[in-house]
Amino acid sequence: MPHAMNDFLKKIADILEMDIVEEQDDLKGFPQWDSLAVLSVIAMLDANYGVNLHAAEFQQVNTVGDLWALVQSKKQL
Amino acid sequence: MNFTFRRKRITGILAVVPANERSFIDEMKNYNFPEARSLKLKEVMGYDKRRIVEPGVCVSDLAVFGLQHLFDRGLLIREEIDALILVTQSPDYFLPPTSNVIQGRLGLGHDIFCQDISQGCAGFVIGLIQAFLLLEQESIGKVILINGDVLSRRVSPKDRNIYPLMGDAVSITVVERDTKDSMIHSSFKMDGTRREALIIPAGGFRLPSTPETAVLEDVGDNNLRAKDHLRMDGSAIFNFVQVEVPQLIERLLAGAGVSLDAVDYFLCHQPNRFMVQKLADKMRVPYAKMPSNVVERFGNSGATTLPMAMILNLAGELQKGDCLVCLAGYGVGLTWAAMLMQLGELAFCEAIDYP
Repeated sequence: MPHAMNDFLKKIADILEMDIVEEQDDLKGFPQWDSLAVLSVIAMLDANYGVNLHAAEFQQVNTVGDLWALVQSKKQL
Repeated sequence: MNFTFRRKRITGILAVVPANERSFIDEMKNYNFPEARSLKLKEVMGYDKRRIVEPGVCVSDLAVFGLQHLFDRGLLIREEIDALILVTQSPDYFLPPTSNVIQGRLGLGHDIFCQDISQGCAGFVIGLIQAFLLLEQESIGKVILINGDVLSRRVSPKDRNIYPLMGDAVSITVVERDTKDSMIHSSFKMDGTRREALIIPAGGFRLPSTPETAVLEDVGDNNLRAKDHLRMDGSAIFNFVQVEVPQLIERLLAGAGVSLDAVDYFLCHQPNRFMVQKLADKMRVPYAKMPSNVVERFGNSGATTLPMAMILNLAGELQKGDCLVCLAGYGVGLTWAAMLMQLGELAFCEAIDYP
């Protein structure tokens, strides 16, 4: 697994207060997935990846892997 | 859009905060979330104490109390007030204007220009712009800018998105001509296409309040609120601030020919500590130059968080010589506005409790 992906999973795990999260995990399935988690993810993506995600864009995101793919596609813009 | 002004300045700032203090810890049982998550929210956002009015207390009550305080102490002479501008989103009535209510309650006489402006968190900068415009008139020598809201009365206690941060307050700012040849730069933008990010859907003429609009609904995020309540799309607002405000300030400073380092303080609207610190990070401004401690002690009272930031952090300094300050407000509308000005030699810079 590429280092960048590992680093991303670690950051998401920190926000969700989990030891580990995986690509196929459903974000909305985590008990900690609330408005604070959404805000923390948006802030983290802005600070670390220079990507500004709108809340509406989260609608199409189900898994941690979906989020990573969205970040990658926005980075290429 | 940019405006510039010459020979204008702020000469005094007073804030009036309700004595009634609430604490996050006491209220978190109201929310439909695990306690541990609410404690996490408190830690990340910097929520703790806040001040809200008792039932029935209105903006004009706080404003009249504050102005009377200034009259009684000789800090303001009532006959010298030429204009009264009130910026609020929670007027006493739809009509008459609450600025006229304040004028009438204090018996300020007929030779005065009263005006209400419907603006929120950008309202300190927007109000200053209006005050400076009025001061272009020969007959206007002293403008009293009042910012204030009692929106804690319009939020759902079961909405963790917004209830724990709401505070009520009024600020009174005296604006006059400057004897020095000072220059003030301002820059602002508005976007009504994003108007629903911060809205009270019911209670106006579009959707009058009925028993149905008072019913609490879960919109899918575990928060319960009615259409009569103020609602905020928190992540949309966060994004808006992070994207628009650094650009706005950059343009303002570039237009004024001032470097970021030359600014002594950035006094920004404080929705919560988290957003202010993220803004500082993004702009690479040290936290010491951008205070973020208003919400944890008083709550987010809208536009009044700017004067509160001055009073809490810079009261001593601002009563001495000038500082170069950059003000920034952002919120409902959406509206974002910034201003670069010399601030200092204030006759007063303090907060008092409304009993």
